[in-house]
Amino acid sequence: MSAVDTSTPSAVLPKAVPLTPGRVSWQREALALVVGFALLALLPLVITDSYSRHVLIMIFIYGVVASNWDLSLGYGGVFNFGHLALFGIGVYAYSLLTKLAEMNPWIALVVSGLIAVVAAVAVTVPILRLKGIYIILVTFGFAQLVMQVILSQSDYTGGTQGIVRIPTVTWFDHNMVRDAKFAYFYIALAMLGASTVFLRALVRSRTGISIVALRDNEEYAVSRGISLARQRLITLAASAFFTGIAGAFYAAYQRNASIEVFGMSLATIILSMVLLGGTSTIYGAIIASFVLTVFSESMADFGAWRPIITALLIIVVMLVYPSGIMGMLKSASRWMTRSRNG
Amino acid sequence: MTGPMLSVSELTAGYGRITVLDKISIEAGRFGNVGLFGPNGHGKTTLLRAVSGLLKPRQGRIVFDGEDITEATSRAIVKKGLIHVPQGNTLFPDLSIADCMALGAYSPRARPLEDENREKVLALFPKLRERWRQRVATLSGGERQMVSIGTALMSHPKLLILDEPTLGLAPKIKDELCRSVLEISKSGVPLIVVEQDVEFLLELSQHLYFLNHGQVETEIKPGESLGHSEIMAMYFGH
Amino acid sequence: MGGTADILFGGLFQGSLYAMMAVGLALVWTTIGVFNFSHGVFMMLGAYFAWQLVTWGLPPFLAFPLSVLAMAGMGWVLQASVVRPLIGRSNLVLVVVITTLAAGSLIENGALEVWGPRSKQIPPLVSGNVMLGSIGVSLHQIAIILVTPLALGALWLFLNRTRLGLALRAVAQNEDASRLVGLNVTMLYGLSFGIAAALAALAGIFLGGYRFMSPVMGVDPLLKALIVVVFGGISSISGPIYAAYLIGFFEAIASYYFGLYWTPALLFAALILTLMVKPEGLFTPNRSRGLA
Repeated sequence: MSAVDTSTPSAVLPKAVPLTPGRVSWQREALALVVGFALLALLPLVITDSYSRHVLIMIFIYGVVASNWDLSLGYGGVFNFGHLALFGIGVYAYSLLTKLAEMNPWIALVVSGLIAVVAAVAVTVPILRLKGIYIILVTFGFAQLVMQVILSQSDYTGGTQGIVRIPTVTWFDHNMVRDAKFAYFYIALAMLGASTVFLRALVRSRTGISIVALRDNEEYAVSRGISLARQRLITLAASAFFTGIAGAFYAAYQRNASIEVFGMSLATIILSMVLLGGTSTIYGAIIASFVLTVFSESMADFGAWRPIITALLIIVVMLVYPSGIMGMLKSASRWMTRSRNG
Repeated sequence: MTGPMLSVSELTAGYGRITVLDKISIEAGRFGNVGLFGPNGHGKTTLLRAVSGLLKPRQGRIVFDGEDITEATSRAIVKKGLIHVPQGNTLFPDLSIADCMALGAYSPRARPLEDENREKVLALFPKLRERWRQRVATLSGGERQMVSIGTALMSHPKLLILDEPTLGLAPKIKDELCRSVLEISKSGVPLIVVEQDVEFLLELSQHLYFLNHGQVETEIKPGESLGHSEIMAMYFGH
Repeated sequence: MGGTADILFGGLFQGSLYAMMAVGLALVWTTIGVFNFSHGVFMMLGAYFAWQLVTWGLPPFLAFPLSVLAMAGMGWVLQASVVRPLIGRSNLVLVVVITTLAAGSLIENGALEVWGPRSKQIPPLVSGNVMLGSIGVSLHQIAIILVTPLALGALWLFLNRTRLGLALRAVAQNEDASRLVGLNVTMLYGLSFGIAAALAALAGIFLGGYRFMSPVMGVDPLLKALIVVVFGGISSISGPIYAAYLIGFFEAIASYYFGLYWTPALLFAALILTLMVKPEGLFTPNRSRGLA
């Protein structure tokens, strides 16, 4: 990122950001995105059984959560351990809005995203001045706080029992239940698509570059007029919106909400998606959510050994491939071009 | 002993993709104290770090006291008596002077001599006795440098490396410290010194190396001494 | 005066357990600069190991120390396998979070395989109950209240009165300088992890003596220990100990006056407030291990 000129305040500059050498132009990236998502959209034609479609839907949900986490963690360099709490807030916001306030589910999806944004802003305020390990500890504390509040307000949230029979989204008079998850697949895919376009547009924008500048050289960036507090707030708020929506969709899809979304095991899995995918790519997290979920599902027969093998895999990849799956792909493609040229 | 105490031959080292030392060769112990000088960022500290095992060299050989220490750990090197006082005096801010001295005598070679060496250090730096239980962070710059050197003396060095011992000190304290270092040398401990102060370096060392671009550009042995002005030119000319 | 006794006893008891856990986290943080998210697992394993040894017929006074020792070894092994190879990476803190989380999940599920989900209990340190004022308390709990300061005191003596402890404190402050006085930094890293694990195991044996054990029994204490270090700061050993007892008493008072229902919320309100005023923790001395 060092080649990018951040020396002038963004307000007076034209929108176009000078390209860093080796960076893909946005036209090519947009084309690749459209092709990629078009291919994904064709999948239900090939994959017709509802179990496989369910796995894909879960991949899309995890992909949204993981890639948004990559925004705050990879790009922002802020280790928000409460990211999964934003997802959980989406789950519970949707559940309560549709069940108690009887809000239209589609509107509730979006409102849940906004509530997650508000929560993200609330957790960012105490960490504005903090660094490193203290950010981890405070955001972790925040996640615990949210969980404790949900647990204690059992009259509304069902406490440890959770919430069941949550209203789901509807599409005119299409039957959501008996279409082998056809409609859910496309809703999930649309959500992933919107989230990915949003994230990539953000990180390619001037705002995105200033966020990275802060991460890489805080003192320099601040001396150049970038506000640490403002950018950190933007980063976390932006990473919350689709995370909250993903939570809401998860609730609508599963039709129940449980406190387990705040648990360590889900956080571990999603975090490994971010790190295995390689941070600061967005795409890496999505690819890793695909790889990890399929891997995990393919071991369904192993029963109790499944989490053990998953954990081992995570450790081994972290030890031997620090830059994650994207790093692996990059070095593989570099190797291929080299062997083609040479 | 006829050979040099320390000989570094064809040493290449660096950090990441950057090469700092490029096939550098020096020796120490045969012609008195060694003085290293040259512009900053040209490998003096890197050379010392490689010698004391903090940095693994990519190529070359380091022999100390007849043994190959190229691949040795810092711990093994300290055990053999090659002691390195790093640049800056930020050793252990939260330890007391007493703690630091005890740490200095950590290696098995130095432990039996702990009491004797402590007396020597306190005779050399009487100030440390007054502040014996004080945390290092509360000391002045000069006192901290005394702690650093004192800690090294507690390790009972056969060869002592000092990386800019007078850096950032006030003139009066600097003089005091220079006298102490000369005294250490007189007591029979050979030195390798990196120093910005030309006068001090010339007073202290008989064998000089001028380092530039990761290589020895000029070596000055006793007898073939260059004029004072020429050395000054090297200091400031590059 | 039942209230005072309740609060005093409850505070001391909870504080003891929190201190045993939190001090290990802080020890590892100050020496290696990483955060061990598998710390809770040592607690669980320590309890299970002790249970296993007792079931095999070993008397508790042998089984408990053996288990603590075994966990020290486990800590060493864990450090060597998922922490040490990563040292030197620029994103060390982050990567270690994930590898220790994964290692924790691995061991937790392994324990589930080996010992099954059924709850177990190990014999208390001391059996029997006494009346303390108007409340009845078990001798086991009193033993915990008394043993904890002894264990922490032993740790303090080790760190401050032995050469090895001195070396450990030195490594926490300056790694390069430690190498230059001839310290074996790798060994000291293993030692710090080992001690932390041993303390966690001891806490696990305490807990397993009055509550049913399960493979996930370490999760909640780890979370609490994390909160303790947020309060107490993490760059010293004493800060987390003070904070542990402070939180123990805070909870005892809050639950006595406001009920268990509101205690967590109150605790977190206090936490947020603390961080607004003193983000680096209440008992942090004027220094900190460098971390971006």
